[in-house]
Amino acid sequence: MTIPPQGQPGLYLHLPFCSAICPYCDFAVMRAGEALRARFVDRLVAELPLAAGAWADPRPFDTVYFGGGTPSLLMVEELARLLDACREHLALTTPAPWVFLEANPEDVTPEVCRAWRRLGVRTLSLGVQSFDDGVLRFLGRRHTAAKARAAVEKAKAAGFDTVSIDLIFGLPGQSAAAWRRELATAVALAPDHLSCYQLTIHPRTVFGVRAARGQLSELPEGAQAALFELTHRVLADAGWPAYEVSNFARSPEHRSRHNCKYWNHTPYLGLGPSAHSFAIVPHASAGTAGAPVVARRWWNEPRLRSWEQRMAAGERPLAGEEALGPRELGAETLLLGLRTTAGVDLDDFATRFGVDLLAANALLVANLAAEGRLEIRSGPDGRRLVPTLQGLAVADGVAAAFDLPIPT
Amino acid sequence: MDHIRNFCIIAHIDHGKSTLADRLIQRCGAVEAREFRDQILDSMDLERERGITIKANTITLSYTARDGRGYELNLIDTPGHVDFSHEVRRSLMSCDGALLVIDASQGVEAQTVANLYLAMEFNLAIVPVINKIDLPSADIERVMEEIDRDLALDPFEAIPVSAKLGTGIDELLEAIVAKLPPPAGDPEAPLRALLFDAQYDAYRGAVLLVRVLDGTLRPGTRIRLMHAGVEHKVEEVGIQRLRRVPAGQLSAGEVGYVLAGIKTLSGLAIGDTLTEAERPAAQPVPGYREAKPVVFSSIYPVDTNDYLDLTKALEKLKLNDAALVYDKDSSAALGFGFRCGFLGLLHLDVVQERLEREYGLSLILSAPSVRYQVVLDDGSEVWVDNPTFYPDPSTIKEVFEPYIKATIMTPERYLGAVMELCRERRGVDTKFNYLAAGRMEVTSELPLAEVLFDFYDRLKSLTQGYGSFDYEVLDYRPADIAKVDILVNGEKVDALSQLVHRDSARTRALKYCERLARTIPRQQFKIAIQGAIGGQIIARTTIHPFRKDVTAKCYGGDITRKRKLLEKQKEGKKKMKMVGAVEIPQAAFVAVLRTEDDEDSRT
Repeated sequence: MTIPPQGQPGLYLHLPFCSAICPYCDFAVMRAGEALRARFVDRLVAELPLAAGAWADPRPFDTVYFGGGTPSLLMVEELARLLDACREHLALTTPAPWVFLEANPEDVTPEVCRAWRRLGVRTLSLGVQSFDDGVLRFLGRRHTAAKARAAVEKAKAAGFDTVSIDLIFGLPGQSAAAWRRELATAVALAPDHLSCYQLTIHPRTVFGVRAARGQLSELPEGAQAALFELTHRVLADAGWPAYEVSNFARSPEHRSRHNCKYWNHTPYLGLGPSAHSFAIVPHASAGTAGAPVVARRWWNEPRLRSWEQRMAAGERPLAGEEALGPRELGAETLLLGLRTTAGVDLDDFATRFGVDLLAANALLVANLAAEGRLEIRSGPDGRRLVPTLQGLAVADGVAAAFDLPIPT
Repeated sequence: MDHIRNFCIIAHIDHGKSTLADRLIQRCGAVEAREFRDQILDSMDLERERGITIKANTITLSYTARDGRGYELNLIDTPGHVDFSHEVRRSLMSCDGALLVIDASQGVEAQTVANLYLAMEFNLAIVPVINKIDLPSADIERVMEEIDRDLALDPFEAIPVSAKLGTGIDELLEAIVAKLPPPAGDPEAPLRALLFDAQYDAYRGAVLLVRVLDGTLRPGTRIRLMHAGVEHKVEEVGIQRLRRVPAGQLSAGEVGYVLAGIKTLSGLAIGDTLTEAERPAAQPVPGYREAKPVVFSSIYPVDTNDYLDLTKALEKLKLNDAALVYDKDSSAALGFGFRCGFLGLLHLDVVQERLEREYGLSLILSAPSVRYQVVLDDGSEVWVDNPTFYPDPSTIKEVFEPYIKATIMTPERYLGAVMELCRERRGVDTKFNYLAAGRMEVTSELPLAEVLFDFYDRLKSLTQGYGSFDYEVLDYRPADIAKVDILVNGEKVDALSQLVHRDSARTRALKYCERLARTIPRQQFKIAIQGAIGGQIIARTTIHPFRKDVTAKCYGGDITRKRKLLEKQKEGKKKMKMVGAVEIPQAAFVAVLRTEDDEDSRT
């Protein structure tokens, strides 16, 4: 198999602090005071040379993503210090990589926006979650709908290249009409990018505990599907077509060029607790084009405490790693591709993995096409297997149904 | 030989045969107290669990009688269900006497009489035993009347006991010694030993259980199996206590085991006669009848890789269960398997469970079928028990199916429901009569095929568990039969085809479709499940596809976890059968093909 088409690598920094823990969140986060935060920044700076030593890809990083957690809780100086450390130990594109910052609406002021822009932040991603005060309270958020709207306005006025907002839908008892109203508010604010996540109740969260006690439940599947389709239709009609299961952009240049790396096997390096890294490594015995390659993925200690202990001991804070062969990469290419509106490039898949997806799954594809879930599109860039809207809604199940007889 | 008594215990089901055996074993001290567990002869888990004895077992007891003489009592436990009358027959052939157990509150029942007749056929001496005299509902006098009137035995010979409490066991042991005859036979005559049971020992090979009628068996003797025509050299003989105890010889009248290093099981037939190769007997032991299977089903391993294990397991089981017959079979949906013939439904059930428990196999059984006699237009005749081989309907002139005579016992208040059930199942000549206050006996001539599909469960539920059911095969009668196929997205699932009476074809097809719809998991596209006769669709259900099956977030680069979830899902799919592009879990076949029908009958 050949090296997949790749852009330049992306860098991710995980900042696990929040001012409070949301009851639905299963990310690696915790509440922290200033002292703990300062110590954490020190340690993150210290991880950079360790991680850089194990990173062989010579190409410069063209995206830097501050995720969390709530990166907007960090002082501007702390963010600056982290970026400086990145420049010191890793190759970043010049004049500057595209910096992403996740922020809470209550942290957004015109002043801080100006400071973030000066740091190089080009995409500001706002954790709005909802434009309904009742929903915000239910979600345990500390901002109000009015504050959220104001934050979007301020961010837009500050001149970021992309202002993105995150929304959550599919809450217990949520009606189509109520969700439609929120979408209308979002559309009226005209952000460049939207992420709309259907609520998943994870077991190790407050919601998970409440669900286990029978106090809370996810919407029934039919209602979930209806809201999912409603979201995609309303946003597409308003000018924000989806490019992934949960992501919508006003135009292709506003898509998250960092997150897309996760979906097309572009290398990425992650720092901080729970961060994942991925690299395509040319096989030691090969060097020419078309040579077999092996990819590696590794990940850090998931909890702040264990990550800090490893860092305090001066070790790389790795929790695990795996080598990926053609089988693993092929399975991921399919499952990730089916989550995007671009779908899977069939010719590229056949070249890279030696499997004709259609031939190996002729009856399945015919059934899925008849059910209106997949389409085969032929275009200038070859044949693609593309999910329909109904197909995106069941992308995980569709991926699992495929037979992938990839030779090793 | 005077000190030997070979006897068995026969009874109607649930009259306490196994408990009585336990008590005799305990009383004779054959088992240490710490080794004792209830129903000790029922060595198969299955037997203990269900409280029925399936496989006849043998044990030798030492008893010192009141006159001070020592006796060797060979107790042969026998199965109580009608399906196993074949096993009963073999056990009886190795006995000289029998204890006929009658429940003190239930009295004489259908099988009590049937077993007595069997015992008389083999000229056994009979000691009637009235068991469960400790029950408040026990009515010893009424039972004595029934022994006199229905069995024509001397009621005053009957020994009242409570096997549960141990009451009357001493009297019973004295009666065994006094009333049952010692074995006849000539230790010097040419060897004739009846092979009445066999087991398989992984280290020693076949363990033959024999009753020596004439002559003497010793280690080193070269024996010949008279029917099979094969010869083996005896390595060890002995008697079966709770475990095997080697002995110097087994001579006329004795019951024991023989090890002869027999590793290949084919050719070993229960009922065969062992004789000495050097000095053979003139005639084999007479009276053995081959058991005839009446119910047929194909057995497939859930995991097709287990086919060889299934082959070996059936071979060993056959050695131990002479009534089981089988032949190779295969199905597009389920792979290689065996077409098996059984004595009845319980037999089928027991074989399945034994294969699963004793051999650790996971199995799928196709819908049980009877054997049809099909007369073709050209006058030729074929016997069909497998839907796969059912002839083209346009070439069939006439079909005949087996009928049974069903005997159903039920409390009077359920009489109407039971009569209706018989009518529904195409019963003819349905009659009833009063057995005793409030108890009715219903007899009906039913197509055997109608009994195979949830009849017993329906009866149990209609009579709130009080009804009991027994049957004997009668004859073949004309039948209007159709072959019903099940299609999944237009593809025929061969393992689910069945032969049914045309009137019930639609109902049966619909039931199958519904069960499949309940057990095939939803997939990413619509699945049509249809029942068809030839090209005509007679039943249909649909499984609607998933509408939402995707996680919202896929960030932070942890694709590994997502892929592993998918790999796990795929791993589960390896155990599924593909019909077209539809994944059908083995559990769906199991659910569709099970005969009992709890869910459906509740509705």
